[in-house]
Amino acid sequence: RLTTLRGPRERVVINRASLLLIPFPNCLYLPQAWLDTQDRCLGHYVNGKWLKPEHRNSVPCQDPITGENLASCLQAQAEDVAAAVEAARTAFKSWSAHPGVVRAQHLVRLAKVIQKHQRLLWTLESLVTGRAVREVRDGDVQLAQQLLHYHAIQASTQEEALAGWEPMGVIGLILPPTFSFLEMMWRICPALAVGCTVVALVPPASPTPLLLAQLSGELGPFPGILNVISGPASLVPVLASQPGIQKVAFCGALEEGRALRRTLAGECAELGLALGTESLLLLTDTADVDSAVEGVVDAAWSDRGPGGLRLLIQESVWDEAMRRLQERMGRLRSGRGLDGAVDMGARGAAACDLVQRFVREAQSQGAQVFQAGDVPSEHPFYPPTLVSNLPPASPCARAEVPWPVVVASPFRTAKEALALANGTPRGGSASVWSERLGQALELGYGLQVGTVWINAHGLRDPSVPTGGCKESGCSWHGGPDGLYEYLRPSGTPARLSCLSKNLNYDTFGLAVPSTLPAGPEIGPSPAPPYGLFVGGRFQAPGARSSRPIQDSSGNLHGYVAEGGAKDIRGAVEAAHQAFPGWAGQSPGARAALLWALAAALERRKSTLASRLERQGVELKAAEAEVELSARRLRAWGARAQAQGHTLQVKDLWARGRAGQVGWGGAQTRGCEMSQAWGPAATPGRGLHFNMRFAWDIQTLSWAKPYFFLSFLETESRSVAQAGVQWRDLGSLQAPPPRFMPFSCPRLPTNFLFFLFFFIFSRDGISPC
Amino acid sequence: MSAHNRGTELDLSWISKIQVNHPAVLRRAEQIQARRTVKKEWQAAWLLKAVTFIDLTTLSGDDTSSNIQRLCYKAKYPIREDLLKALNMYDKGITTAAVCVYPARVCDTVKALKAAGCNIPVASVATGFPAGQTHLKTRLEEIRLAVEDGATEIDVVINRSLVLTGQWEALYDEIRQFRKACGEAHLKTILATGELGSLTNVYKASMIAMMAGSDFIKTSTGKETVNATFPVAIVMLRAIRDFFWKTGNKIGFKPAGGIRSAKDSLAWLSLVKEELGDEWLKPELFRIGASTLLSDIERQIYHHVTGRYAAYHDLPMS
Repeated sequence: RLTTLRGPRERVVINRASLLLIPFPNCLYLPQAWLDTQDRCLGHYVNGKWLKPEHRNSVPCQDPITGENLASCLQAQAEDVAAAVEAARTAFKSWSAHPGVVRAQHLVRLAKVIQKHQRLLWTLESLVTGRAVREVRDGDVQLAQQLLHYHAIQASTQEEALAGWEPMGVIGLILPPTFSFLEMMWRICPALAVGCTVVALVPPASPTPLLLAQLSGELGPFPGILNVISGPASLVPVLASQPGIQKVAFCGALEEGRALRRTLAGECAELGLALGTESLLLLTDTADVDSAVEGVVDAAWSDRGPGGLRLLIQESVWDEAMRRLQERMGRLRSGRGLDGAVDMGARGAAACDLVQRFVREAQSQGAQVFQAGDVPSEHPFYPPTLVSNLPPASPCARAEVPWPVVVASPFRTAKEALALANGTPRGGSASVWSERLGQALELGYGLQVGTVWINAHGLRDPSVPTGGCKESGCSWHGGPDGLYEYLRPSGTPARLSCLSKNLNYDTFGLAVPSTLPAGPEIGPSPAPPYGLFVGGRFQAPGARSSRPIQDSSGNLHGYVAEGGAKDIRGAVEAAHQAFPGWAGQSPGARAALLWALAAALERRKSTLASRLERQGVELKAAEAEVELSARRLRAWGARAQAQGHTLQVKDLWARGRAGQVGWGGAQTRGCEMSQAWGPAATPGRGLHFNMRFAWDIQTLSWAKPYFFLSFLETESRSVAQAGVQWRDLGSLQAPPPRFMPFSCPRLPTNFLFFLFFFIFSRDGISPC
Repeated sequence: MSAHNRGTELDLSWISKIQVNHPAVLRRAEQIQARRTVKKEWQAAWLLKAVTFIDLTTLSGDDTSSNIQRLCYKAKYPIREDLLKALNMYDKGITTAAVCVYPARVCDTVKALKAAGCNIPVASVATGFPAGQTHLKTRLEEIRLAVEDGATEIDVVINRSLVLTGQWEALYDEIRQFRKACGEAHLKTILATGELGSLTNVYKASMIAMMAGSDFIKTSTGKETVNATFPVAIVMLRAIRDFFWKTGNKIGFKPAGGIRSAKDSLAWLSLVKEELGDEWLKPELFRIGASTLLSDIERQIYHHVTGRYAAYHDLPMS
């Protein structure tokens, strides 16, 4: 009947019911009006006020799609950064001194303000980033409020729950050019909650963080807690090395993270890195393929995930999965982000160029490229892209997959899937799709990534830590782990720069050492040499050279091995080899070993204390130190036991709520269980568990260096630096529920690290 | 109407491996309602389109010829004439897709529609609606009588006990017999998904119903506690697509029960569009079983045309 319909209104799709672009002039009004209040010139937001210094370069803030100039943004210079840090330092004094309840109230008020102005927030964000407004509105803004509420609760119980921990101080936050303001929320919420203050350096032309800072600053009594300056990447080292910055949280590209690590080596500021954007999806033959296809859409083609996706499909369902994927891609719709009916927006010219280059190269290397979807043909738009048959050894297969590309490759067995998935330097997030619980868990635990979802992709929850490992960084966001990122044990002495500035990276650890014997050896026995303890035995250093060390009174105490880059490599390799066996131990066995170690330490207490004494430590303090070491070992042992295999059910499935993700310790992955357990007894309603579990496979100290070192293995010289930079917590606090990076206790004995151990004696660190 | 689905031989391998992940489907169902929003004249067009999918239904114990007559008139003139004129759609023959009644009211309905001068198909529920717990013999007889009375579409309910106990062959055979009893009439199979226990069962029952020759699969009777929901619909639509890929037969889809607001109907349209594509958005392949939905759509169109919200007394009742 309907084929007879004709007339002027036919364009309104009565027959084809195709979706046309919706006019959106209303949406533009709010952000434009807000920009008008700034006279279309955005400065920096420091200490509760707009800072618009004169004589600064400005960068236009453009609509990524039309190229229309929305505003001009002033670029900060070093003195603006200094002013912001100064404001944050001043604010820190009062902010951290307030009880947690006061901070909680402030965070809740900020959440309310965001709720009130959410329309402005989401339209502005979508306008300047080009992301689909639906994702910002239903995802980011809601999650931002949840984050504030969650961390408000954490702040209000801080005195009890986090007793013995104090805020670090001023946090420098560095954000990449293309980011969602949510990345900022993940970091500022825990930092503010525990009492830190923040200076955020955002790339030029990103007004949303400025708006957030304004909303927070206008709340009243604490104007300086959140300061936002916009400036070029060249300001990153400037901010990072400002005096008073205690921690730098960096989020962005790998190379920049490396450079920053290098800049900050030996400096007093700690560094938290979150690098890269790629994600992984593992589709097994027992999966609900249609749902997994939706997972791929969530990961790569819905403006939720920041980057591209590597997709591993089991060979037996390859054809079926590819057919469904291609069918689904045909229904994706791309367009201007402010259009309420698009799946994907555009992300500006740079992202578009990047993906064009990647796809061209992939094609030239023999890959098949499939593109589909309803996508405007203009420049900044790029269609959803599925790349397959990429030869595994080709450069493109090794490179990070850019948005919005999915690189699909087949695997045959679960073992091969793990080998393929782990055969990349990146370790951000991954999802496993399988309806078999055992298989899903096996794959989930086998993946060397920070976050694993099972039968879901990209779910985020404030109470669940997510993070990365290997090259994807080493910082955690959300949950308790996110809080500890910005805390340190009370009474930790201020960090000092401990490396000489004129370090030559080209020869560092490689050059032949030039130490001579330290003169005549007096005393009844020759000074003992300390070798390297690697892989369970003592070794001579590669340089075959030793360095004399002196005790507190200036006498020759002994010789320590002069380590080099090769020794580090050997130590790293030993750790790699030891890892599977150690991780395979039951938690009980690991706990028992640690307790045995503690007992051994106590047996030699007097020897150890006297050696410490020779280093100039008071006898009492030395004894306390040994005691503390033993206690620490026991505490960790107990934790290994307690956290070994616990499975917590967070909540039963509530209709329409996204599942919750579990949290883990240093190496645990937040594991998302959305496993249906049907058919259930009640008709029409399955019983669905969302398990939130903390199954800490490697709770112990040396598990973390394993991953950490593998992250930096290609740059072992930095490892040494990083290793040197960290030190023992040096306090009597209970250990945090995760590993503190790489402690280097000042114990003049070398049996402590039986797993692997190396000394880097170059820079006068006391022998371990 | 298009040719019937002839069905296929029973092939249990089509359903033996299938797994449906409940939480993932729930997430998809949640997303789909937010991802396609239509406004203004596009919305009006979609709503008019939705009207043409409605199986205007009355399934009450107190149905008599008078309210059937009113319903038939409403089916013929679903939207107030002046509103359609304002939209320039007056002469486009917009009616609902069918009128759906109990078997005993089929005669009245056929008569009333004839009097109204239109050839809207009459659909009759059958086979012990809504529970399906009567003997197979009487259920088949019910179909034959309804067809004799002039129903051209038969909405049959399946025997849920066969699904819950996994007797797929028996289910296939039953629907096969329904198919035969329908003769030339269209067979719409109601799966009563609210009582099937799991989404995996929903998928399997959908597949069996299509293999056995159903022209439509329908979510529910409207009498269960849980009726047409998006998650269930997603699973059924995926089954329809799989069946189409395997056999080349396009099977229709009919959600029924609990669809009351115009906004809901838009979400259903976009769901079908997203999961199956535009070719399913025609009355031959998509129906919405509803009784009160039409008045809400009419109110929305009233608002679109006049800029005011209509009171219920502004619009003719059905």
